[in-house]
Amino acid sequence: MQQRRTIDQIHTNRVLLNGQLDTPKWWAPTVITLGIIVAIGFFLIGIMVNKGLGVTGLSRPVYWGLFITTFVFWVGISHAGIMISAILRLSQAEWRRPVTRAAELLTVFSLLTALMFPLMHAGRPWRIIYYIVPYDFARGIMPNVRSPLIWDPVAISTYLTGSTLFLYIALLPDLGNLRDRTTGWQKAFYTILALGWRGNPRQWKLQTVGGILLSALMLPIFVSVHSIVSWDFAVTPAVEGWHSTIFAPYFVIGAVHSGVSAVVTMMALMRWLWKWEDFIRPEHFDALARLLIVVATGWLAFTFLELIFAVYGLDAPEIELRDMQIFQWPWNLLFVVFVFTGYIIPVGMWLQKSVRNNIALMFWSSLFVNIGMWLERFMIIVPGLARKTPFVYTWEAYRPSGLEWFILFWSLAWVTFLMLLFSRFFPLVPLFEQKESQTFGDSIKIGRARVPAIVREAD
Amino acid sequence: MASEVIHTAGAHAEAHEEGHHELPARVDPDVALSELVATTEANGSAVRTWAWILGILSLVGIVSFGVKVGIEWGDQAKWGYTAAIVAFLFSAFGGAPLVAIAPMIAKANWVRPVARFAQLCSLVSIVISIWMIPLILNLPMLIVDGARRRSIWFEGPDVSPHIWAVVALTTLIISSVGLIWAYGMPDFAVMRDHGTGWKQRFGNWAARGWIGSTVQWRTMRMRIGMMGTLYFFTFVFIHFMLSTDFAMSLVPGWRDAIFPMYHAISSIQAGLAVTVIGIWAARKYLGLEKYLHLDQFWSIGRLMFAFTLLWGYFFISAFIVFWYGRSGSDQMWIDFLILGPYFWVFIGAVLLIWFTPWWWLIWNKVRRSYNGTAIGAGLILAGVFLDRVRLYVAAWSVPEERIHERFLTEYPGTVYPDVMDILIMVGAVAASVLLVILATRVLPILSVWDVQQFNLLYRPVDYMKTKVSLIGKPD
Repeated sequence: MQQRRTIDQIHTNRVLLNGQLDTPKWWAPTVITLGIIVAIGFFLIGIMVNKGLGVTGLSRPVYWGLFITTFVFWVGISHAGIMISAILRLSQAEWRRPVTRAAELLTVFSLLTALMFPLMHAGRPWRIIYYIVPYDFARGIMPNVRSPLIWDPVAISTYLTGSTLFLYIALLPDLGNLRDRTTGWQKAFYTILALGWRGNPRQWKLQTVGGILLSALMLPIFVSVHSIVSWDFAVTPAVEGWHSTIFAPYFVIGAVHSGVSAVVTMMALMRWLWKWEDFIRPEHFDALARLLIVVATGWLAFTFLELIFAVYGLDAPEIELRDMQIFQWPWNLLFVVFVFTGYIIPVGMWLQKSVRNNIALMFWSSLFVNIGMWLERFMIIVPGLARKTPFVYTWEAYRPSGLEWFILFWSLAWVTFLMLLFSRFFPLVPLFEQKESQTFGDSIKIGRARVPAIVREAD
Repeated sequence: MASEVIHTAGAHAEAHEEGHHELPARVDPDVALSELVATTEANGSAVRTWAWILGILSLVGIVSFGVKVGIEWGDQAKWGYTAAIVAFLFSAFGGAPLVAIAPMIAKANWVRPVARFAQLCSLVSIVISIWMIPLILNLPMLIVDGARRRSIWFEGPDVSPHIWAVVALTTLIISSVGLIWAYGMPDFAVMRDHGTGWKQRFGNWAARGWIGSTVQWRTMRMRIGMMGTLYFFTFVFIHFMLSTDFAMSLVPGWRDAIFPMYHAISSIQAGLAVTVIGIWAARKYLGLEKYLHLDQFWSIGRLMFAFTLLWGYFFISAFIVFWYGRSGSDQMWIDFLILGPYFWVFIGAVLLIWFTPWWWLIWNKVRRSYNGTAIGAGLILAGVFLDRVRLYVAAWSVPEERIHERFLTEYPGTVYPDVMDILIMVGAVAASVLLVILATRVLPILSVWDVQQFNLLYRPVDYMKTKVSLIGKPD
């Protein structure tokens, strides 16, 4: 199963720095195309700010729609970085090494994107300032310090700060490497960013300890971010389907499911686009798929508990809501697509070893997961609001407008655009991790067989 | 660039050089074989004395059990402590095999010497099944006073919870025995080849002609995988069933979707604790220092710490929703199960399951010590017991005639254990420990084949200025 190869360091430098030192031909046209989509998206957002939220399909009683669904979706994707980098680092999983940078990057860019959706959703984004200045602790009116809607921006901005630091600390050795291989303005640029990195033992020690400490510090933030997002819903008993104690871990495990799947999508693209077959190997996809089977099955168990305890109370409105969600058109179609794309198809595929080692199939199955996970958030947020409740006197379906759909697709283009821009200046696979994995990889002879082995320090 | 790599490795070494524990030495295969086989005979008189004591306590427990059935049958409130001890035993001993199963799937080498003891704990499912009988029989039917009560079985037959409890417990016993047998085959062969008397005969029967061929090893791994998976799913299902049918559904208005997971998480936490205490005792009283190193204590200590934090997270996830919800049923959860008749039990549980282990196990020094980790484990076990008392005694104290209320508005008072409850609880714990001790007289407490594989796949090597271990990772 282990396909580790001996790769010399010159080859590693040449291949992994090809995005920065020798830009691939496809890069510029792709970035320009994405740039145009991004520009159109910003233009449409401008129109929405100018005209107001009337251009969306939002209305009473559905006041949270596609924007909030997409906000939750991107916060979920952001869980990839810490899951892959911090947890696998602390548990010393060797196969994490080529994947860490891409996962951390996905965290930072998806968080940045997620933050934009509540701003858009506010309709008049500048009014967000009243949330912060002057801050009212005393009267218990909005902004209310006890509200998860306040904890949300605090948690997300803390997570964004921590993730950026995490990414930057891991980048330092590679920045030093790039500084030594560039000239002119690029050299000046990397010199500033490398913070005097020379790779002496003290610097390595600080970098290692810093990484471990940040990993441990980021874990509670990682858990709190999506828990708080879930409490935006769960502490609201007035909306059927939201007031559930399971929401916090359910959201977190769903986030890990979608985040790690997004990393798989990204790894496949990186392997194809930059031709990194020596570094991103089928064994990495295999390991991620095994991890995903466990995560996805855990997530399915939470989904089951969420559904069963919704009807357990035998409250008629809650039962009617679930009846609508699962059996009534068009929700039933969305529900079936959600279950099949979120679990049945991808996990069914990953159970086959041949699929786990097939990059194309892994790519498509990971895309399925994120379709399913986006639908999951939609199915949680919208149906509960769409039903008539004691405080709302209308009962309408919600139809997202074309503008809302475009902004959803704009967010995908925006994250890809940022990733590609990043790849022009910084390596997407950490060089030092790659070299370290070569150093720590070994084999031992047992009888006539040679078994792959790894070096481990005593804890 | 080569120097870069050397510095990375050097930095790792330096970053860890202070305080890291010594690497275990490899043990000669013949020595390992004879020493581990000898553990089934070791401390004969001491084990016999303990077996007598535990046996008598178990018997007293069973007699009290019979007396209680005779005089308190039908009074649901009187069976709360029996429910609590059953839930505790299932949580602690039932959770232990997962310590063996999960790291084995992740190919963690440290788990090898621990796996056998963790799996033997699953035998306690036999004790659990016996102690469950009065609980199953005392559980209200689904239709009470002509109306259907809240339950996870919805429109199912009237006796659904009872039938499913029997099915689940039977499956648990089958999967426990199956797992121990599948994993123990090479060791049964060792007993056949190196044991004497009845052990040799039993080994001969249980080894099923084991000669260690490639096919047999492959089949054995497949069996372990299948039995491990069956055990895991049964474990999850029983937590689901136990937490809902035997606790939540007895309290009107208690609707807590996270509760089965909370129950399972604290069970894994308790399972880790039982494993630590077991290997600590094996190390101390069976002289197995050569095989049980700080590696095992450190790794399980880290997991215990992680699950301690998870317990806090799961509790807070439920608490915050009820606290903010403020509906009648939300308030009932807080008033009855936290602030109500079992407030001090709750405080004790929180201190012992969460707060104290958190600030105890957080220190590397504690996790790098045998006694420190064992103390942490002891605290957790006491905490899980108190938590089960808080939940189950409270749930069973609600009279059956109030089961259809929307939510409880008046709470039953504190139920204190009587002498029979105490004897039943002591007897159940004694019977569980006795069963595990007796099992270690048949099979070595550390798996011979897994310890040999540990030694085969592990090499202490010099690396620059430090010592590191080289660990083989076969597919």
